[in-house]
Amino acid sequence: MKFNFYNGATISAWLLAVLVIVAELVAPFKDALKNVFTHHWIGKVVLVFIAFFVFAFLFKDKKSLFGMSDEKAAWYSTLGSLAIILLFYVYEFVV
Amino acid sequence: MRELVLYGHIILGLAIVVLSVFILMEMKKKSSYLKPMAAATAFMSWLAMLPGGILYLTFYPATKTVIKAGPWPWAHSIVMETKEHWALLLPVIATVAAWLVYKDQLKESKKWWVLLIALTVVLAITGRIIKMGAVS
Repeated sequence: MKFNFYNGATISAWLLAVLVIVAELVAPFKDALKNVFTHHWIGKVVLVFIAFFVFAFLFKDKKSLFGMSDEKAAWYSTLGSLAIILLFYVYEFVV
Repeated sequence: MRELVLYGHIILGLAIVVLSVFILMEMKKKSSYLKPMAAATAFMSWLAMLPGGILYLTFYPATKTVIKAGPWPWAHSIVMETKEHWALLLPVIATVAAWLVYKDQLKESKKWWVLLIALTVVLAITGRIIKMGAVS
C-alpha cells in the first residue's frame, strides 16, 4: 500500500479544527484564505484535502502517531475534530 | 439551477447512506461486490462536495442574511457553521473506510462505515434545521 489513510485522517482532522478556530479568531488569516482561494471555505477544503493525501503518503510507514496506534489516532482525532468544531461554534455564539 | 444542485446533493447523501448500510450487510457474506461498492461510496462522498460547495457559496449567502435577521440566528452561527466544516470530514471518513475494505480489514472498517452513516444523517438533519431557520 502506498498510503496510510489513518495518518492522513489524523493530520487532516486536526488541521481542520485548527483552521476553523484560527480563521474565526484571527481575521487577517481568514482574509488571507479568502484572498488566495477566493473564499475561506474553499481554502480550508483545499488545505485539508491536500493534507489528507500528502500525509497519508509521507507517513505511509508510520504505525503510530502521538504515542498511540495509527488506527486509534485516526479514530479519536476524527471524533475530536468533530466535537471541537461544534463546541467552538457553540462557545462563540453563547459568549 | 438551485433545485437541480440541491437534488443532486440530497441524492448523493442518500446514496452514501444506502451504500454504506449495504456494505455493512454484505460484510457478513464477504460479497465480491464489497470493494466496488466501497470505492463507489468513497467516490460519491468526494463528489458530494461539489453540489454542497455550489449551494454554500452561490445560494446560501442570501439565506444566511435571512437567518441571521430572524428568530433563529443560531441556525447559522452554530448549525450551518458546524455543518459546512463537518462535511469536509465526510470524504476523509469514507476514504478510510473504503481503504480498509481494500486491505481486507473488514472488521476494522465497520466503525468507519457507521460513523459515515451517522455523520451523513446528522448533516441532513442540520440541513433541515437551517431551512427551518430561514422560514421561521
